[in-house]
Amino acid sequence: MRLEDYLQEHAQHRPEQCAIVQGSNRVSYSQLWKDIQTCAEQLRANGLKRHRPYVFRASQDATFVVTYCAVHLLDAIAVPLEHSVSDEIFNKVKNEVEACQYTPDITDILYTTGTSGQAKGVMLSKTCLAACADNFIVEMRFHPELVFIVSGPLNHIASLFKIHPIFTVGGTLCILDGLRDINAFYQVFELPYQHFATFLVPASIRMLLQFSPEQLHEVSHLIDFIETGAAPISSIDMQRLSMALPNSRLYNTYGGTEIGCVCTYQFNDGLYKEGCIGRPMPNSKIEISEDGSLIVSGKTVMSGYVANPKSTEEVLRNGRIYTSDLGRIDEQGLIYIMGRCDDIINIGGYKIDPVEVENIVNKLEGIQDCICIASTHPIIGAVLKLLFVVEDGKALTKSEIAMHIKNNLESYKIPQEYEQVDTIRRTYNGKKDRKSYRGMTAFFVGNRVKGRGGSDNHVVE
Amino acid sequence: MKEEIKKLLADALPMVDFESECLYEQLDSIGVVTILIVLSNQYSIHLNIQDATPKNLISLDALVRLVESKLKEQ
Repeated sequence: MRLEDYLQEHAQHRPEQCAIVQGSNRVSYSQLWKDIQTCAEQLRANGLKRHRPYVFRASQDATFVVTYCAVHLLDAIAVPLEHSVSDEIFNKVKNEVEACQYTPDITDILYTTGTSGQAKGVMLSKTCLAACADNFIVEMRFHPELVFIVSGPLNHIASLFKIHPIFTVGGTLCILDGLRDINAFYQVFELPYQHFATFLVPASIRMLLQFSPEQLHEVSHLIDFIETGAAPISSIDMQRLSMALPNSRLYNTYGGTEIGCVCTYQFNDGLYKEGCIGRPMPNSKIEISEDGSLIVSGKTVMSGYVANPKSTEEVLRNGRIYTSDLGRIDEQGLIYIMGRCDDIINIGGYKIDPVEVENIVNKLEGIQDCICIASTHPIIGAVLKLLFVVEDGKALTKSEIAMHIKNNLESYKIPQEYEQVDTIRRTYNGKKDRKSYRGMTAFFVGNRVKGRGGSDNHVVE
Repeated sequence: MKEEIKKLLADALPMVDFESECLYEQLDSIGVVTILIVLSNQYSIHLNIQDATPKNLISLDALVRLVESKLKEQ
């Protein structure tokens, strides 16, 4: 059954059940289904056809859910972009996706960072979305009385992929506009429900533990589970969260736009294994390649990149995604993430190609050279930092550089920290010496020979 | 104090316009946390998440009032 079939079923059998909570706004399943049908009719009247893409900005409210489901109801393809995306990027994506033809199973296209400084459209099938929903429902025990709180952008998989399981089981989706107002987060627990769950990136978990331990404790009896992921969570934070929420289930999930939701580790096991992502969920399989990187297969993987067969071939072969995540499997079959084997920087779940940021900064008059690196913030964890060299006789402020980036890239690609330096270190052949800016962290991947698909891959299902 | 706070916060959050009367609209969770940390450290005051209300973060003047009230409490 499609998600829209479940929504129709809930509208018929549990019409007054609350589907969406957003501030003081409540949307029942009956109302949601009516709104989706109305929106679908409008989209059809405006010319949207089956298997054709519909590009739209992801608002952080019920309207997004209605639009997203209405596009699916028409058997069209949803292409949600970040709400603050510029007209230039919006039109570029629109032109790209509208120039292509799609197989009938494609239902979503999500844009993600590519390794060449260009964003790529990840094509996802109905099978993929249903398999990810099934993974969550089975592993995390979604149920009809559950209120799932989403605070991250609805076009990002960490939030988007929760819409499917919560509506499949007939639960309630609570939408928050980020976590800048933590008090609004805690007010959700005043709603007349007894079972809550949410996804929080590790930085948000640390923020809650640091600035609101009392409030977290007060609502702990209402929290069924908290899922984290998208970035590494420290063993200390796992332990602190486990102590704050002794009766809740706590998960660290591994996933990505190209691979879907793959593994999860219930970390309040007293061991708090750092880097552990547990075992594959029912619809997923993981192998460790000869070079130590993870290979993911199963129903949750993408169908390919839009208009980019070369990039697709580089990562997707015979239904297997060759990731840039380095990993290992312990004697108990638990999988661990040990870093990345490329230059992509992970900031709160957003994969950022530093070259894309640098290319934009280099266009700013007065910039002689720059490098975008990862830095560590005491609370937030990994943040982007820009080191820049200014041409002789010129002057640039941090604000000028930040505003220039803001005008050209999505907001999550704007570095948090800036430092003017005399020079950018380069290797003997003139390339930016990125490794020298990574501190002393080194990822041990064993004495494996570089190569992929060898016969000694470790497989976990 | 106002100029000092403005300089500190502008240094920590260079993409934010601290002259704006819609300061809160420019902030995300990282921005809010950064402001709490910077002001706590600079003035040795205890700020928690209950202080991070839209009212307290609406403008630079509101932030100055927040710091002044915390200093008075000590």
